[in-house]
Amino acid sequence: MVRIDTELLSKRRVAEGYFELRLRWPSGAGAPAAGQFLTLRARGGGDPLLRRPFAFASHDAAEDEATLVIQERGSATRALATLEPGAKLDLLGPLGRGFAFPERGTEPVLVAGGIGVGPVLFLRASLDAAGVASRFILGARTAALVPESLLPRGAGVEVRTDDGSLGTRGTAADAVAALPRDARVALFACGPKPMMAALDRIAAERGWPYQAAVEEWMACGVGACMGCAVPLKGGGYSRACADGPVLDGRLVKWD
Amino acid sequence: MGLNDATRAPVGAAPEPFAPDLSVRIGPLTLANPVGVASGTFGYGEEYAALLDLDALGAVYTKAVTVEPRAGNPAPRLAETPCGMLNSIGLANPGLVAFIRDKLPALRARRFRTVVNVAGAALDDYVRVVEEIEAAGGVDAYELNVSCPNVKSGGMAFGTDPALVALVTEAVRRATKRALVVKLSPNVTDIRETARAAEASGADAVSAINTLVGMAVDVKTRRPRLAMKTGGLSGPALRPVGVAAVYRISRAVKIPVIGLGGIATADDALEYLLAGADAVQVGTATFADPGAALRVLEGIEAWMRQNRVARVADIKGLLIE
Repeated sequence: MVRIDTELLSKRRVAEGYFELRLRWPSGAGAPAAGQFLTLRARGGGDPLLRRPFAFASHDAAEDEATLVIQERGSATRALATLEPGAKLDLLGPLGRGFAFPERGTEPVLVAGGIGVGPVLFLRASLDAAGVASRFILGARTAALVPESLLPRGAGVEVRTDDGSLGTRGTAADAVAALPRDARVALFACGPKPMMAALDRIAAERGWPYQAAVEEWMACGVGACMGCAVPLKGGGYSRACADGPVLDGRLVKWD
Repeated sequence: MGLNDATRAPVGAAPEPFAPDLSVRIGPLTLANPVGVASGTFGYGEEYAALLDLDALGAVYTKAVTVEPRAGNPAPRLAETPCGMLNSIGLANPGLVAFIRDKLPALRARRFRTVVNVAGAALDDYVRVVEEIEAAGGVDAYELNVSCPNVKSGGMAFGTDPALVALVTEAVRRATKRALVVKLSPNVTDIRETARAAEASGADAVSAINTLVGMAVDVKTRRPRLAMKTGGLSGPALRPVGVAAVYRISRAVKIPVIGLGGIATADDALEYLLAGADAVQVGTATFADPGAALRVLEGIEAWMRQNRVARVADIKGLLIE
């Protein structure tokens, strides 16, 4: 974990309101794992006050580069979306716990919903690099919100949209439910809570392991403030920043 | 002291080396410098060890310790507001036993002064936390959290009533000879009353201010943005409220005042010091910039050199009213 001043290398729009930011990530900052995140200060001063967390979407150690996929949502992300290459970035990372590699003999199924696509893309690339085949399912409301240029190439890539404007009509969870019940699936997911909850129900029913990357508001990002509490079914909370963001999805209270 | 002509180097002469004394006395305790990190924003210190030189801090005011472990309030616990943020953490902490076992050894090994923030639902809870930490070898000082706005009983219920502030301060005073700080709530009509009650009951200092009760509503969903509906406002938005509180308290009591609320830069801290504070705490600013407290310290020292102010305690005499 380091705080570094670095720079934006490039920015491109990848879907409606979605941008891919490519930034300098020096090797001295430590190699991020899929599922880990950084926090970024949009600009100095009091507004927006807090750093914003973003999951790594890729890391290229040879080029000292990393990417993030961001969605314009509020003042901080709007400010980010207007940055130009060369802009200085105040970053803190890599933070949190990433995805653990699937056990041998399981079939990894990677599920991304909406802006959750970044860390799932990174996991896919990490598995590819390790020679582990995986299935990749992306769900979105409509075709305009699908970052098609970022989708992995190769077999086992499936897109679902709520309105059927791209890929099969339906949700990402529908695609997971359609998998054979007796398959030895290991689920990995990041996306909106309804999708995460639906995957939890499927995982529980079929006894599939489920690694879930959660998203919460954060203040410190390093485990100190207890602000990013994720409620657990058994009572109590996990910290999204330090215990997660990748948690055992079957322990999280999603609803 | 400091700004009169007599202390300035004569024109043309090489400036004589000037090293301000940054130390601050709080009752029996000497802090190496006036800048600490505020309770609730810095965990128990080690969370930030990779990001700054912790031992350069004057003090670490720990996350609150209660007798029992507390899971904290329902989520969401955070909401950002203009130049500030609301929190309703609910004193989430591992409890007294785990604190002594898991956190105290690392705090003891540090050079910074450790001030344990103590909270409770009842008078006996405050006493027990302090007694058991004392029995385990103690820390440098205690800060009584009688002003947390986010717990149903105790906390602010103690801090808004001068008689209850007096009770809890007296009780803890009997349990320790170490420096005792009472953290005051701004959610009162006249903060001088609780400050005087703390002073009269044996506090070595007061810290002010804790967060101000606030609320934000998501207009799209028509729900409060915090699960607990209301929370505590911190950040730059709070600063003028804190500076005014410190100004008034410092003219009502003789014990030191530790100022906090929206300090992000050395100038912010100097506002508090000029208004009457003897020391400061940096809180929410650490979230945006983990090294904020050390930059505040550097800036205070630079300002003291530039203005040839010998001691931190001299700064409050420099306010021009």
